[in-house]
Amino acid sequence: MRRKDHPHRPFWYLGRGPDRVRSDVDEELDVHLEMRVEELTSRGLSVEAARREALRRFGDLEGTRQYCRRQGQEKEKSMQRGLIFQDLKQDIQVCLRDLWRVPMLMLTIVGTVGLGIGATTAIFSAVNAALLRPLPYEDPARLVRIYTDAPPHKFRFSVADHLALQEQQTSFQQIAGYTERAMAFSDGEVAERLTGRVVSWTYFELLGIRPAIGRHFTELDGRPGGPPAVIVSHGFWQQRLGARADVIGRPIRLDGSDYAIAGVLPRLVGPLEQGQEFFVAAQWDTPPRRGPFFITVIGRLRNRSEESAAASDLRAINRRLFPVWQASYQDDKASWGMMDLKAHVIGDVGTIAGVALSAVGLVWLIACANASSLMIARVTSRRRELAVRAALGASRGRVVRYLLAESGLLAMGATVVGVLLAWVGIGLLRDFGAGYLPRTQEITLEGPVLWLLAALTAASGLLFGLIPAVNGTGGPVDQSLRSLGRSSTGSIAVRRLRRVLVGSQFAVATPLLVVAALLISTLNELRQVDLGFESGSLLTGAILLPAKQYQEPGPVKAFWDELQRRVEALPGVSGVAFADGRPPAGVGNFNNFDLEEFPTPPGQSPPVTPWVAVTPEYFRLLGLTLLQGRLFDERDGLEAPPVVVVDRAWARRFFPNQGAVGKRLREGGCTDCPWTTVVGVVSDVKYAGLDKPDEGSVYWPMAERGLSHPIDQATARFRYLVLRTSADPGTVLPAVRQVVRDLDPSLPFHNVATMEELVAQQLRMPRSLSLLVGGLAVVALILSIVGIYGVMAYYVQQHSKEISIRAALGGSPVDVLRLILGQGMKVVVSGVVVGSLTALALTRLMSTLLFGIGAADAFTFVGSAVFLLAVALAACLVPARRAIGVEPASILRNE
Amino acid sequence: MSPRPLPLVQGTLDLLVLHTLLSAPMHGYGIATRVHERTDGDLAIEDAALYQALHRLDRNGLVEAEWRPSENNRRARYYTLTPAGRKRLREEAANWRRYARAVEAVLQGG
Repeated sequence: MRRKDHPHRPFWYLGRGPDRVRSDVDEELDVHLEMRVEELTSRGLSVEAARREALRRFGDLEGTRQYCRRQGQEKEKSMQRGLIFQDLKQDIQVCLRDLWRVPMLMLTIVGTVGLGIGATTAIFSAVNAALLRPLPYEDPARLVRIYTDAPPHKFRFSVADHLALQEQQTSFQQIAGYTERAMAFSDGEVAERLTGRVVSWTYFELLGIRPAIGRHFTELDGRPGGPPAVIVSHGFWQQRLGARADVIGRPIRLDGSDYAIAGVLPRLVGPLEQGQEFFVAAQWDTPPRRGPFFITVIGRLRNRSEESAAASDLRAINRRLFPVWQASYQDDKASWGMMDLKAHVIGDVGTIAGVALSAVGLVWLIACANASSLMIARVTSRRRELAVRAALGASRGRVVRYLLAESGLLAMGATVVGVLLAWVGIGLLRDFGAGYLPRTQEITLEGPVLWLLAALTAASGLLFGLIPAVNGTGGPVDQSLRSLGRSSTGSIAVRRLRRVLVGSQFAVATPLLVVAALLISTLNELRQVDLGFESGSLLTGAILLPAKQYQEPGPVKAFWDELQRRVEALPGVSGVAFADGRPPAGVGNFNNFDLEEFPTPPGQSPPVTPWVAVTPEYFRLLGLTLLQGRLFDERDGLEAPPVVVVDRAWARRFFPNQGAVGKRLREGGCTDCPWTTVVGVVSDVKYAGLDKPDEGSVYWPMAERGLSHPIDQATARFRYLVLRTSADPGTVLPAVRQVVRDLDPSLPFHNVATMEELVAQQLRMPRSLSLLVGGLAVVALILSIVGIYGVMAYYVQQHSKEISIRAALGGSPVDVLRLILGQGMKVVVSGVVVGSLTALALTRLMSTLLFGIGAADAFTFVGSAVFLLAVALAACLVPARRAIGVEPASILRNE
Repeated sequence: MSPRPLPLVQGTLDLLVLHTLLSAPMHGYGIATRVHERTDGDLAIEDAALYQALHRLDRNGLVEAEWRPSENNRRARYYTLTPAGRKRLREEAANWRRYARAVEAVLQGG
C-alpha cells in the first residue's frame, strides 16, 4: 500500500510517529549512498574505494542524520497541531454522512435525550430560582422571619407583639412587619380591587430596596395619625399612573382615602413584593388587647453569628410580654422563634420540586441508557467497517475518537432540541408556574442552569458514546475480521453490558410509573372527596365596603339588605345568602375557644376551628342537612344572646358521646364575654382544602354583632355573596354585577367564581404534577420497551443458528420460546425488582403530596410491576415469534 | 580537470534545489547529480548540505516527500514542489537575478 505524507490523507490517519521519522531518514540516506557507490563502481572503482569516496563526498553524515530527523519530527508535531482541527472537521463531516443514513436512530437519540436535557434544564431553572438562589435582597444571609412558635403552628404577630419587639429587642439591626391588604383603588371612573400590603415604615430599608423614583418610608410615615403614604409597584405606576415622572407626592384614592405617593418600586422586585400593587405605610398604634395576629415579621440580624443570642432575646421578650396581656391571651407554651427568611419564602414546595426534578432527571438517564444501548448495537453491527479501518492503519484511539465524535454530534443535536424545549418550558413556568413555586419571575437560563446544561450535554455524550466506543473496539483486529463471517460475534461483555443498560432502564422506569400511579390515584381521590354540598350552579363573589363611606352600622346594614333584595329579584336566581368564608378552601377566620365543660388546662393551647359567619339562608342554599337542634332565625338578632351552629365533625370531636346542642363556649380567649350556646348541628363542609380532614367548623350568625369592636367592623364590611342559580351562572353574572354597580359604582365586585371553578382550582396543582410525572413515565415506559425489544431482536438474530439447529433437531417451538423469553425477562425482572425497591425509598419522601393512598400502597406497587412485566413480555414475544417462524433450513443455508 | 569548484554563496542552495524540482519530482541523489551536471562541477555542493536543505524545505512546507519506486526499482524518497515552494522559487529567483545584475553592474562600471 502506498502511503503519502500528504494533508489530504484518509481521515483515520494519525501521522508519522518519531520511530517512523527516524527510519525514513536512515533509509533515505542509505539509498543515497548505495546509488553513489553504484555510480562509482560503474566507473571502475572497487567497491571498497567507491564506499570511501561516497562517504567523503557526502560530508558530515551523522550531523546530517540528526538534523534531518529533527526537522522531520518538528514538522510532524506542527502538523499534528494544525490537523486536529482539520481532522475534527472531517470527522464531523463523515459522522454526519453516516448518521443521515440511519435517520430513525438519529431522531430517536436526539429526540429522547433532548427531551431529557430540556425538561431537566427547565425544571432545574425553576428549582434554582425558587430554592437555590439567595434572595435578591441586600445581604440576604442576615434576614430572618420571626414568628410565634406553637408547634405545629407558626403564628404571625399582633400589633402588640410587633410594637413590643420593636422597642425591646437588641440583637437585630432592624425589624419590619407586613400584612396583606386588598384595597379598592378608584381613579374617579372605575373601581378595582387590588392586592397590596400594609408594611411597617422599616420594611424597605430593612430589605435594602431602593425605590426607582421617590423615597422609601421614614419614621414619620409610620406615626399614627400622620398623613397616609403609599409606595406603588412599577406595574401600577405604568398602568394606572401613565408612567409619569411627576407622580411623587400626588394622592391616589384607596378604599376611599387619599394616600400620598412616596415612591415607585423598580421593575424587578423580590419574592415578597411580587404580585403586590401597592405598599401602604402602617400606622400601628397600641391596641386594647394582644390579638389579632396578622403581621408577618421579618428581621435583619446584626451579625449572622449572633443568631442564638437573638433567639434567646426573642424568648426573653415574649416572657416579659406574657403577663402584660394575660387577660386576652393564655397560651404560655407558645414562644417566639425565628427561621431563615429564605425558608419562609420557599415554604413547602421542596417536595414538589424534588419529585419533578427527579422525574425529569430519571427520564434523561433512561434516554441516555437507551441511546447507549442503541449505539452499542450500531458499533457491534459495524465491527467489520471498524476492523477494516483499523487494518488500514487507524489506531484504536483514532476509531474511539471517531465514535466519540459521532456521539458528541448526537449529544449536541440533543442539546439543541433540549435548549429549545427548555426555552419553551421556562416560558411556561414563568407564566403558569406561579401557582406552584415562589420566585417564578426570576427563572432564567443562566449561571448554574447553563452549567447544568453543559454538564448534561457532556455526560450524555460520554454516557452513550464512550461505553460503546470502548467496548465495541476492543480486541485484536484480525480476530474481529476473521470472525465476521460467522454470526456469533458481539463479545459476551458487550452483550452483558447492553442487558445491564436495559435492566437499568426498567429500574428507572419502575419508580417513575409508581410515582405517577400514586399521584393519579391522589387526583382521583381528591376528585371524589365529598364536598358536603351541591356544587353545581353556585356562584360566589366578594364585596368589601370601604371604611370611609361605611363607618356607621346603618348604611352597612342598608347596603347588604338592599343588595340581597335586588339580587333575589333577578331572573334565574333561586336563592341568595351571605357568608364571610366559602368552601372548599376559602375560610376567612379561624377562632380559638374554650368549652364550658372542658376548659383548656393552663399552659395548653385552646382548640382552633374555622369560624364562618353566615346568614340563615346559607344552610338551605348549600344544601346542608340539619342533624340536631335548629338553624339561625329571627331570634338571633343583634341584642340576643350569642349562638352558633356547629357541624357534625365538630360535635363528634368535642362531644363524642352526647348531643352538642345546648353546650356553651367562650370565643377567642375572652374570659369575661357572655357564653355562646350551640343551638344546632349540620352536615360537614370542606373549608380548609379538599385534602384536609374534617376537624369541625363553627357557624355564627352574620347579623349577630354590630360594629362596636374593631374586628367586628372588618367582618361586617366584608361579605361573600353566595347565589344559587336556576340558569347557567355565567348568564346571571352580568346582571349581578349591574346590581352592585347601581348600588355603589365605586365598589369592586371581585373574586367571582362558580363553586365548580373553585373546586377545579383546588385540583390544579395535583393535576399538573400528575400530568407531568405521568407524561414522563409514559416516555420512560416507551424507551424501556424499545430497549428490551432491541436487545431481544438482536439476541434472536445472533442466535438464529442455534435456534435453527434446535428446531432441526426436533426441539419444540415452545422450548425456543421459553429460551428467548427467559433470556429477556431475566433482565426485565431484575430491573423491576431494583426499581420497586428504589420506589419504596423514594415515595416515602413524597407522602405529603399524597391523599387517600399510602406511599407504599401495595396495589400500586404490584400493579405497576405487573404492568411493566406484561408489556416487556409482549415486547420480547415479537422477536421470539419471528425466531420460531423461521425455516431452520434457510438459516443454516445462509451460514 | 576543471578548476577547483567554488564554495556556495550563502542561501543559494535552496534556490538551486527548488529550481531543480520544477521539472519533475526527484530523489536526493537525482537532485545532486542534476546540479552537478548543470554546473559542470563549478559549484562545490556537499551531499550533506543538500539533504539538510531538502529536509528544511520539507519542514517548511515548500516541498513534499513520498516513497516511490525509483527508475531501477528501488524504494526512494521523492520530493515534489508544493504551491508554496513554487511561489518561493519565483521570489528567490527574481532576488538572485537582481543581486547578480547589481554585482555585474558594479564590476562593469570599473
